[in-house]
Amino acid sequence: METLVIQTLNGLVFSMLLFVMAAGLSLIFGQMDVINLAHGAFYLLGGYIGFTMIRQYENYWLALIIAPVIVGTIGFIIEYAILRRIYGRHHHLNQVLFTFGLALVAADLIRWNWGSYVITVAAPPQLQGQVPFLGIQFPVYRLAVITFGLTIGAILWIGIERTRIGMILRAGVSDAKLLSGFGVNIQLVFSGVFAMGTALAALAGVIGAPIHSLYPGLDFEILILTLAVVVVGGLGTLKGAFLGSLLIGMADTFGKTFLPEFALFLIFAVMASVLILRPSGLWGLRGQR
Amino acid sequence: MTKEKPAGFNRRELLQATATVAAGYTAVPLLAACSSSDARPAKIGVLLPYSGIYAVLGESITEGIRMYLDEIGNQSGGRRIEIITEDSQMMPDVAQQKARKLVEQDEVDFVAGIVSTGVLYGLRDYFDSAKKLLICANAGGNKISRELRTPYIWRTSFSNWQPNWPLGDWAYKNVAQKVFMSAPDYGAGHNMVDAFANSFQALGGQILGMQFTPFPTMGDPAPFITEIQGLDPPMVFCFYSGASAVAFVQSYGEFGLTDNIPLVCAGFTVEEDVLPAQGTAALGALSSLHWSLLIDNPINKRFTSAYKNRTGKDANVFAVQGYDTGRVIAELLIAVQGDTSDVSRMIDYLAGISFDSPRGPFNLDSQSQNPSQHIYVRRVDEVDGALHNVVIEDLGAFTDPGDNSLG
Repeated sequence: METLVIQTLNGLVFSMLLFVMAAGLSLIFGQMDVINLAHGAFYLLGGYIGFTMIRQYENYWLALIIAPVIVGTIGFIIEYAILRRIYGRHHHLNQVLFTFGLALVAADLIRWNWGSYVITVAAPPQLQGQVPFLGIQFPVYRLAVITFGLTIGAILWIGIERTRIGMILRAGVSDAKLLSGFGVNIQLVFSGVFAMGTALAALAGVIGAPIHSLYPGLDFEILILTLAVVVVGGLGTLKGAFLGSLLIGMADTFGKTFLPEFALFLIFAVMASVLILRPSGLWGLRGQR
Repeated sequence: MTKEKPAGFNRRELLQATATVAAGYTAVPLLAACSSSDARPAKIGVLLPYSGIYAVLGESITEGIRMYLDEIGNQSGGRRIEIITEDSQMMPDVAQQKARKLVEQDEVDFVAGIVSTGVLYGLRDYFDSAKKLLICANAGGNKISRELRTPYIWRTSFSNWQPNWPLGDWAYKNVAQKVFMSAPDYGAGHNMVDAFANSFQALGGQILGMQFTPFPTMGDPAPFITEIQGLDPPMVFCFYSGASAVAFVQSYGEFGLTDNIPLVCAGFTVEEDVLPAQGTAALGALSSLHWSLLIDNPINKRFTSAYKNRTGKDANVFAVQGYDTGRVIAELLIAVQGDTSDVSRMIDYLAGISFDSPRGPFNLDSQSQNPSQHIYVRRVDEVDGALHNVVIEDLGAFTDPGDNSLG
């Protein structure tokens, strides 16, 4: 019984990490109708930049802020310079090819700069060690990851539902053309959203680094899980990203606990069943596009 | 296959000949003897993963091969040696395609490399039917020394059985009589667990449980660590490699197990390529392997310092395997005097190759087509401010049994 509770906690940690990733991917899709296959690369880039900053300044919290800002800026430039040329429904293939190419280029640049050895990042000193919990020792940092995820979720929810910018974003999801007719600079909104989405990926990269380490190939591992999340939860909504993350995170953890040989299979079984029963995901923007 | 050479001298050969004559008559017969066998360079096709989670292994093996070849001036048995590298991407189908390219298009004399057992097994039939030599520099799948043995595949690395069978015996006598086992769910993982369990159980050791984790990517190992925590065994045996090794050992420390449950493992789990990343989570881990950075013999000392000078990194077992692969090929070229046309003659010479390697005495065993070599028990300790595997016992030489009688 205790083990079940602890495994639930493990599942929650993983879910929250996936949620920060999925929120970024979903935000970009909801607003811009673009599936960003370079999202995993931005995760890894964020993690590596975070690693370099932590090594330089020995300050995890600084890295947690600066890495997303740097990666978000890169995202802004990419959207401004290239991505905006290939918007629109008939460009879906171009978008997928472009972001996939971007992912490959980024992976090579990362390897060129940081090498291919596995790099680990220490948790900040305040969050190291374990706390006794139900007879075992549970790492403090993992509890902190749950808090990070919930906090980021809350900030995003308030930002989207309760602020003027959020209002513009929600209007943009419904009808971007009309919004631009009301005098909103929709191009700027798109650039901002793409920057925001990539910054979230980088944030997940810094948060995840002390748990998952950093190595070439992690970008696509994370991307595939994130895609599973948005397929299950549905693209374009924060709620979908959140609940989808919980489902996939728990499926992964309990799959590993009870059916370790089929753990990966289980995630994709969940994904396949959702695709069959509700192709637009459980909580997605169904049928709107 | 040999290319027809056009009759007569080309410009370079003419210049060379002139220079040789100028250098003195005595050199002429010697040079002629060397180049008469074959003037073409001997080509080694190196097939390794250079991308993905085992990229470090591919890079280390390549560096080892190049380092040995550089030491002997990139020639042996009268032939210049050339390397052609290809990325296997760790995928059996890609490796198959690249192997064909190396053999049929580049017309290499040997193929060397191969990191993962799955790729090795996938290539087995091709080399068997093409009658080309494959010198395996890593992948340890037992079957290639046993039921899948072919005269055309020889290993300079190890069989998965080799480090683990002696360790089961040692761990029973020196650590604990009960064990929980953890390994990735693929050929090598099962091989290693079976070998350890065989000798451990033969002494009366008890296995409390096993877990086989997703391969090649384990993801978050926390659920597996929690399972171990719940059982609280007196000892854990595991095998992991590359990024999974870092993830597993790091979580082991993160959940506070490092100080409480002794970790006994196949040496790859805490090898020099991953140890810096694992940090103090790996402290005290006991492992067995056919090499350690700190083996105290002159050849190893020279090898490790030269490798560090060359790459700026500490050597690892994969680099040693690459280095010895270079050496085996060079020795073979000397034995056949550079004549690589007769494969069965080369195979006869391979069986006898033995030399002092950085790992200690190295003998290519004719029965298992795998080295007979010493196995060392090592413990992760802090040495001069960095973590390394300190040799605590030399268990002596072991040879793969060549069948499944011992796990």
